[in-house]
Amino acid sequence: MDLFNPGFWTFVAVIAGIYGIMALGLYVQFSLAGLPNFGHVAFMAVAAYAMAILVVRYEVPLALAALGGLAAAVVLAVVMGVPALRLRADYLAIATIAGSEIIRYLVMSLPELTGGAIGSMGLLGPGEIALYNQDWQAFRDAIAGLVTPLLGAAPSHDEVTMALVWALLIGLIALFWRLERSPWGRVLKGIREDDTAVAAVGKNVVHFKMQALIIGAILGGLAGLLLAWQIGVFSPDDYQPTLTFYAYLILILGGVNRIWAIPVGAVLFSLLYTGTRFLNFFPLSLFDPGERAFLRLFLVGLLLVLFMALRPEGAFGDRRQLMLEK
Amino acid sequence: MLLDVRSVAKSFGGVAAVSDATFDVAEGSITSLIGPNGAGKTTVFNLVSGFIRADRGEISFAGRRIERLSGDRIARAGLVRIFQTPRVLTRMTVLENMMLAAKDQPGERLWSAWMTPRRVARKEAEGRDKAEQRLALIRLSHLTHEYAGALSGGQRKLLELGRALMVEPRMILLDEPMAGVAPVLREQLLDHIRELRAEQGVTVCIIEHDMDVVMSISDRIIVMDDGTVIADGPPDAIQDNPRVIEAYLGRSGGLDGGARA
Repeated sequence: MDLFNPGFWTFVAVIAGIYGIMALGLYVQFSLAGLPNFGHVAFMAVAAYAMAILVVRYEVPLALAALGGLAAAVVLAVVMGVPALRLRADYLAIATIAGSEIIRYLVMSLPELTGGAIGSMGLLGPGEIALYNQDWQAFRDAIAGLVTPLLGAAPSHDEVTMALVWALLIGLIALFWRLERSPWGRVLKGIREDDTAVAAVGKNVVHFKMQALIIGAILGGLAGLLLAWQIGVFSPDDYQPTLTFYAYLILILGGVNRIWAIPVGAVLFSLLYTGTRFLNFFPLSLFDPGERAFLRLFLVGLLLVLFMALRPEGAFGDRRQLMLEK
Repeated sequence: MLLDVRSVAKSFGGVAAVSDATFDVAEGSITSLIGPNGAGKTTVFNLVSGFIRADRGEISFAGRRIERLSGDRIARAGLVRIFQTPRVLTRMTVLENMMLAAKDQPGERLWSAWMTPRRVARKEAEGRDKAEQRLALIRLSHLTHEYAGALSGGQRKLLELGRALMVEPRMILLDEPMAGVAPVLREQLLDHIRELRAEQGVTVCIIEHDMDVVMSISDRIIVMDDGTVIADGPPDAIQDNPRVIEAYLGRSGGLDGGARA
């Protein structure tokens, strides 16, 4: 892999933008409303699978199928939220972990429905390769065609996607930046601090928590759809539980409770994650490439630990907030 | 009667915290709920304010049955409580703590927050004015923009009282409002509570251990022991009630002893 290949970095930027949208969903749930969601990836996977199944099996137009995918993520949020949100926050953590594992096992053990371990390619059964991405590619080509006269040269597929994803991320952050500062956002932050106190002044806490959970699910689902479109075909491995923790890392790296630091966190995380790919010089070159791949994950972990030890508030967080007594 | 509690009971894992509580609170009065530790006073507050559901019994507020309503609905109905250990929202400013509690803010609905910013802003300005007045009343104005988590225990108590007032309650339940508040502020706090009743007609029900405070502020005193109400009447009658004296002597040295301590 060439360090100076712009195509590679464009791809990294697309993934960073998608991770940013994923992290924004978690921000609404965790940083605003204090809901510990440890199964965020389930919203992504459910949206991607619902979209792909609608397109491949029922030939639904992509835009409608995308809405169907988001609706599926909302249904999952309601199913987990109705029993768990009335209880203490710990129970939601358990419900989301269990919920996302259940989704993963269902995907693996119902190959007729989901394509099983083969993933989206197997949606039409063996012997036929299923594709859900034609409409997305056509959409991307149409945009490329529109902007070519303006730019003087045709942008690559990834460049178009990068522009779309980052425009979406910035727009959504602006929207939620504003909502965070509204009375609605204030109630959510109050719930994060102490939900009993907020109920005691007459706010329907369960209702607000459910809103936050659903909005987070929609944003997570959106990230799941974009990831599916970007990679073209997906399998259960593309929606690993670790994605949820990447989202937490992005929030922590950018700065706890700083919405506009999410893109910074997403870029920092992507640089840490992909940048270590280039650590192929001496003495690391003494290891063979297979061992180096493990070393890379080890180094990501080490860097994150160092970051946490030296700058627990993240790149742009407020250190004073961390020192307040509960 | 504004608040009417009839034969209410609650046990936790077989232990009866409240076995039979029956009392009422008149509109516009200041009523104290006293009794030795473990008598069930705070449990009664939790039951009345909807934070715990009663095993049996009836609770009515302003003529409406409330024993099955959730805490937030009871607060919206005008019955607001403050907690024994203050619950402030630590990583929010003092002003945000206050403004959060303002009632009828349309901006708390997502759609209005996004679509009618002007109406929301007008209501916010009203809420802010009201919050600043109340903060001046409880002498926390100088801390308006400070994080609530940076406040001392006594200041948190005051903030919680101020926040409860933002809801514009008809009745307020105060669980040991004086605990941890400096003596100088205590007198002021007592005056504020009297003013609340006199100027805004707020009914006050108060749990308090300091007998001087109880005797000076109450119109009526309800005494609990072992989960039941053992006496109920004006301060003079309560002071001489043999059952009350026995309940206190048996545990913590008597009513007058408590007053001098």
